[in-house]
Formats: sequence, structure tokens, C-alpha cells
Amino acid sequence: MRWGMVIDLRRCVGCQTCTVACKQEHGLPAGVQWRFVADCEIGEYPDVRRVFLPMACMHCADPPCVPVCPTGASRRRDDGIVWIDDAACVGCGYCAVACPYRARHLVAEPAGHFAVATPSERATARPERRGVMTKCTFCKERVDAGRAAGLTPGVDQDATPMCAVACIAGAIVFGDLDDPASRVARMVAGGAVALMPECGTRPSVYYLAE
Amino acid sequence: MAIFASPVTLIPATPQRLWGAPAVANFALGGLGAGLYLAAAAAAVLGGSPAIALAGWIGPALALAGLAAVAAEAGRPLRGARVVRRVRTSWMSREALLGGAFIALAVADALAPVPALRLLASLAAGGFVVAQGLLVRDARGVTAWAVPAMPAVFAASAATSGVGALLALEVAGGRPLTGALLGATLAILALAMVVWLGYVTWSDDEAFREATRPLREGASAVAVTGGGYVLPFALATAALVSGLAAPALVAGALMALAQVHAKWLLVVGAGRLWPIALRSLGLQRRPS
Repeated sequence: MRWGMVIDLRRCVGCQTCTVACKQEHGLPAGVQWRFVADCEIGEYPDVRRVFLPMACMHCADPPCVPVCPTGASRRRDDGIVWIDDAACVGCGYCAVACPYRARHLVAEPAGHFAVATPSERATARPERRGVMTKCTFCKERVDAGRAAGLTPGVDQDATPMCAVACIAGAIVFGDLDDPASRVARMVAGGAVALMPECGTRPSVYYLAE
Repeated sequence: MAIFASPVTLIPATPQRLWGAPAVANFALGGLGAGLYLAAAAAAVLGGSPAIALAGWIGPALALAGLAAVAAEAGRPLRGARVVRRVRTSWMSREALLGGAFIALAVADALAPVPALRLLASLAAGGFVVAQGLLVRDARGVTAWAVPAMPAVFAASAATSGVGALLALEVAGGRPLTGALLGATLAILALAMVVWLGYVTWSDDEAFREATRPLREGASAVAVTGGGYVLPFALATAALVSGLAAPALVAGALMALAQVHAKWLLVVGAGRLWPIALRSLGLQRRPS
């Protein structure tokens, strides 16, 4: 089993709903986004195109961030999810400069959006994350809880990462890349491509373009 | 229908912002301290120089200051002791261990000189410097760092700054400069400049060339190449020919200072993240 994601760039409208849903699901502080949608203008007039590129951790099969971690806080599970143990991370930033996809973020200070923390910020504060590296986890808590309840991640919403659930255009598809019958595996077989394969990291996130 | 060039750059390269002055301090002071110790130890064995008595304290102190600076940069510095846990895979763990071993062994040798201790401290110092280069090489998200030449760059930098500092120490200590020391200085300068120029022209990849532009062009590049290699080479040659100490003192100071500047340029100036590109995107022009 290897969890993966396919993002259909033809469907993405750049609304950032996935960005907000992720922030809300994980209670991320101001200035920290585990995922974002880059608004890219490419080409030269008159051959110009606007492309929305959702970016997050690629959960690589050969993640450069994991072996460099000096404390062992960065880990990769057997199901392919790359995660960080908050309690073990020293916040040195080595994993961030080792990642070609800009997926890792240091929560430097518990900054709020306003001078005083809002009730919602207080409710979702995660002091254990202060001073450590953070990143997309493929919502492993939802995936694990869903599987324990007999649900199928990628099919059942309660077992699927929040970004995929929240996407208004159905552009984000989650599932088991090792299951040839899964939708993600079929999309990969159908021509979805990885970002910067020349890095040799074998990402688990693919993009479907044209 | 026109097809856009492949790969398509979607997000341009941007500076990395996690490693700043403290990381520079670690690499610069670590290289200088280890390089000085190695140079002084070699000078003691080959020429009977007494500089090791001072370098045996200054070298580990500089390395310790560098490690302390970078520890303070971490988000959770109180967990610093944990960085030695992944020696099997992480060059940061290996760097910390080798740096710690160098400091402990060098101080032990300074307190109670034993040839075996000095040899072990020298080995640890060399390993520490190379580990720093390999640590930077494994930062695969930064275009200018993830090149195989990086350990050689760090080793050459440490040798240059270390010999430069030794030269300055010898002059400041009022000891006569030997032809062997000045000859070794010239050889190291020539070799280190070849390594540096080889690195900054390492690849024709557009992202690499753009990231390393501050190392090749402009006043900073002139300061490193001219002020750190060419001018010290001329001054050391003048000292060798004339027997005067002043040119050697200036050459030594320049060699040490320029390497600090080079590390700053490498980490901050050239520390740019890879541009995000999507190969084989196959974007086609849409009729308007």
C-alpha cells in the first residue's frame, strides 16, 4: 500500500479552498501553510497561459528529507506517508533545505492573525509545534481513523485528506497507488506526471495536465 | 498550436531563508578553526613550529563558537543533544560528532600533549570539515549546494583559511617565516583557487548558473577570488622573495577573511531553492 494523490490541473480553479481547509483541519498558525496553490503565468505574449499549481509535501518514496534529519524526527511510514515527530524535532531546518518541493515549514513563533489570539486560535493552538518543522501529513490521523473504522481512504470522505474532501472542483484525488483498481493508480497510468522527476525522489503526488 | 518549452518553470527560484548568519558562522568558524589546527599541527611536525600551542586552543574555540551559533539558530536549541542520533544517515549528526571529537581531543592535547591525541584531533578536524561539505551537499533543495564538489570546496576553504591564520600567527609571534611555510601557502592557494573556480563553473544548468551568479560576478566575487586568492598569492610570493613579514601578515589575514566572506556568499547569496518546473506538461496554446 502506498498512499498517493493526483491533482488534475485542468480542473483546478485556484480558489485556495484546499489551502484554507488544511489550515483549519490542522490548526496552523498565521504564516504557515502546509499547502498552497501557486498562481503561475507562463509563456510569452501571445502564447500565455495561467496555471494553478497546488503544492504540498510530495510524500516521496525516496524522500531526501528523511535521511538528513539528525534526530530521526522525519520519518516515512510503510504506507508511504512522510511525517515529523514534533517531540523529536530540533528545528534545525536541514529537512527544509533538503526538500526540492519547498514542503517544510518552521513554526518559529506562535503568531496569530491579530494582536490578541482569537478564541479559535486559542482552541487550535498546538504548542508542541512551536520551534519545530511541520508539513503536510496526508491527514494521517483521518486516514488511520477511517481505516480503523472500515472506511476506504480516497473513497469515503471521513477517511480522506481534507484538501481532497474540500476541493470544489474535484481536482484532488487521493488513494492507494499500489492498487491498480484505485482511481489514483488509473490516473497515473493514464498520464499523470510527477513534479521534477529528475530529482529522483519518486513523489507520491502526481499532476494531470493536458 | 504552439507548445510551450519543456520543462515549464512554474515557480521561480527564491532564496532559502532558514539558514542565515548562524549557519555561516558554523561553516566559517568551523573551517577556520579546524584548518588552523591542522596547519599548525602539520607545521609542528614538519618545521617544529610552536604555533600549535596557541592554535591548540584557538582552533577548537572557533569550532565550538560555530557549533554554538548554529545551535542557537535551531527552533528547539535545548534539544540540541539529539542531533547526534542519526549518525547512520545524516551528515549533520556526523558533523556534530566529529566537531565534538575535534574540540575534546584538541583541548585534551593542549592540556596534556600526547602525539596520539594530536593525531586523533587532526583526523577529527579533517573529518569535521569534510562532513560540513557533505552536509551542505545533501541539501538537495538548494541548487548551488547539491553538487558533488562541495566537500572539496569546504576542505579547500578550511585549508586556505587555516594556513592564512597560521601565517598571521607566525608573524604576530615574531617567528621567522620559513620557505617551506610560504611555499605550502602558495601551493594551497593555487589548489584552492582551482577548486573554487571549478565549483562556480561546475554546471551549465541554468538554475545553477543563476544561483551561483553572486559567486562569479560583481564586487563580492572579486573580493573572494581577487582578495582571497590572487592578492594573497602575490603577497606571499613577495614575502618569499623579499623575506619581509608584513606582506605575509596581510596575505594571511586576507586568506582567512575572504573565506568567511565566501561562506557567507555560498549560504546566503547563492542559497536559492530550485525553481519548480513541470516536465512534459505539454501545455498548448489555446485559441483566443
